[in-house]
Amino acid sequence: MDATAEQKYSFDVVRWFAVMAVVYVVVGALVGVYIASELAWPVLNFDSPYLSFGRLRPLHTNAVIFAFGGSVLMASAFYSVQRTCGVRLWSDKMAWFTFWGWNLIVVAAVITLPLGMTQGKEYAELEWPIDIAIAVVWLSYMFNFVMTIATRKSSHIYVSNWFFLGMMLMITYLHVVNSLAVPVSLTDSYSLFSGVQDAMIQWWWGHNAVGFYLTAGFLGIMYYFVPKQANRPVYSYRLSVIHFWALMFGYVWLGAHHLQYTALPDWTGSLGAAVSLAMIIPSWGGAVNGMMTLSGAWDKLRTDYVLRFLIMSLAFYAMSTFEGPVMSIKTVNALSHYTDWTVGHVHSGALGWVAMVGMGAIYHMIERTFHTKMYSTKMVNLHFWTATIGAVIYIVAMWVSGIMQGLMWRAYDEYGTLAYTFAESVEAMHPYYAMRAVGGIVFLLGAVIMLVNVLMTVRKSVSEGSLQQARTAAASA
Amino acid sequence: MSSLGDYFHTDWEAMTTNDWVGTILTVVIFLLMVVAYVYVLRPKNKDKLEAHKHIPMDDDESIESGDKNGG
Repeated sequence: MDATAEQKYSFDVVRWFAVMAVVYVVVGALVGVYIASELAWPVLNFDSPYLSFGRLRPLHTNAVIFAFGGSVLMASAFYSVQRTCGVRLWSDKMAWFTFWGWNLIVVAAVITLPLGMTQGKEYAELEWPIDIAIAVVWLSYMFNFVMTIATRKSSHIYVSNWFFLGMMLMITYLHVVNSLAVPVSLTDSYSLFSGVQDAMIQWWWGHNAVGFYLTAGFLGIMYYFVPKQANRPVYSYRLSVIHFWALMFGYVWLGAHHLQYTALPDWTGSLGAAVSLAMIIPSWGGAVNGMMTLSGAWDKLRTDYVLRFLIMSLAFYAMSTFEGPVMSIKTVNALSHYTDWTVGHVHSGALGWVAMVGMGAIYHMIERTFHTKMYSTKMVNLHFWTATIGAVIYIVAMWVSGIMQGLMWRAYDEYGTLAYTFAESVEAMHPYYAMRAVGGIVFLLGAVIMLVNVLMTVRKSVSEGSLQQARTAAASA
Repeated sequence: MSSLGDYFHTDWEAMTTNDWVGTILTVVIFLLMVVAYVYVLRPKNKDKLEAHKHIPMDDDESIESGDKNGG
C-alpha cells in the first residue's frame, strides 16, 4: 500500500513543507509569547529597537500566518490534490521552487522586520521586493495545483480542491492590489492609495487574509482531512457546496466592518456588518457538516487523538465565526473596537481553528508520507490538551481584559468627565496580560512537544527503513 | 436617521459608471448564487451530488492513529 502511494504520488515536497510548518509554529509562538510578556513586563524590551513590540509583533504575525499557515496550506493542498485527483503533482520542480521560494521569503521577513523595514500595512508589512517575490512564488503554487487538477483522472473536482482554488485566486488578487506601491528605494515605498481609500483597501485585504487564507484554505484542509482521519465520507456533500459558494460570495464584503466609526461612509460599515451576520449561516453549516461527519462514530474521539484536533478546531471555528459577526455590529463594536477583545477573537480563530486543524492535518500527513505511526501517541494527546488549555486561557484573559478596557474607556461621571485615565486602564490590564502570556506559554509547550514528536517520528522512519522500503518497492515495481 | 426609508434612500441621478458596474455585477452574482442554491438543494440532484463525497475514501490507505496502534 505504502509503496503504491509512494510510487503514484509526489510526497517529498509534502514531507518538507509539513516538517517546516512544525518548526515555524514553534518559532512563531515563541515570538508571540515573548511580545505578550513584553506587554506584561516592559523591562523585556531591554531598550533595544530590535526587540521592541512594534518590530517583533509583525514578525510574530508573519511567522504564524505566512510561515506556519503557508507551509500547512502548501503541504496539505499538494498532498490532497494528488490523492483526490488520482495523479502525481503536475511538476515536482515547480513544487520545489515553491518550497524554497516560500522559505526564502520567510528568511527575508525574519531579517527585515526586526530591522524596522515595513510598509506599515497590517498583515502586509513586507516591503515591495518581497511582495513581488510572494506573488511569483504564490503563482507557482497555484499554477502547479491547477495543472494537477487539469490532469486528474476523476471526473469531479472534490470540494476541498474548490476551497483551495478559491483561496489561491482571491489571495492573488488581494495581495497584488493591496501591495500596489510606488517604490522610492529598495527598502521603502508608498502605497498607491491614500486616506480612507487606503484604509478600505487595507481592510479589504486584512479581513480577506482571514476569510480566504485562514478560512477558505483551512476549510479545504477540513473537508479532506476530517473524512480521511475519521474514515467516513463528509456528512453532506450538498452542504459543502453551499458552504463554498456562500463563503466565496460573502467574505469579500466584510472588510468594512473593521472601519466602523471612522471616515468611511456609515453605510459601508453597516453593509459589512449585515453581510458578516449573514455569514454565520454558511460558517455554522460548514462546522456542523464537519462535526456530523462523525455521526454514529463519536467513539473514535476516545482513541484517535489526531481526530480530536480536527473536531476541536471545528468547535473553535463555530465559536469565532459567531463572535466575529457579533463584534461587527456597530453597538457592540463601539465597545469592542481597539480593545483586547479583538485580540482574543483573532486568537480564538488562530489558535483554536487554524492551528488545531493545521496540526491535525500535519499529524495525518506525517504518518502517511513517512510510512510509519507517530513516535508517541501519548505526546499527541498531551499536545492536544496543552493546545486546548493554552488557547482557552489566552482567549478568556483577552475577553475579560478587552471588555474591561472598553467599559473603562467610555465610563464618565455626572459632570461628563472621563472616570478613568488611559494609564489607569493600562494598569488594570496587567493581571490579564500576565495570564495571556501564561496561556501562550502553555500553547508553545504543546508546539514544542509536537516538534519533538515529529522529529522522532522522522528518525523512527529512517531507523525502521520504512520510507526507504516504500521508495525501493516503488522503484522496483 | 428618521426612518428605514431615509436610510435606504438612493440618489439614482448621482450614480457613476463605477457604481452601476458594481451594482449590476453584484446583483448578477447574487442571482447566480441563488441558481446554485436551487440546483444543489433540488431533491432530484441529491444522489448525483452526494455520490462525490466518497472521493477521498477511494484511495489506498492503511495507517490509522490512536491507542489501538500503540505508541
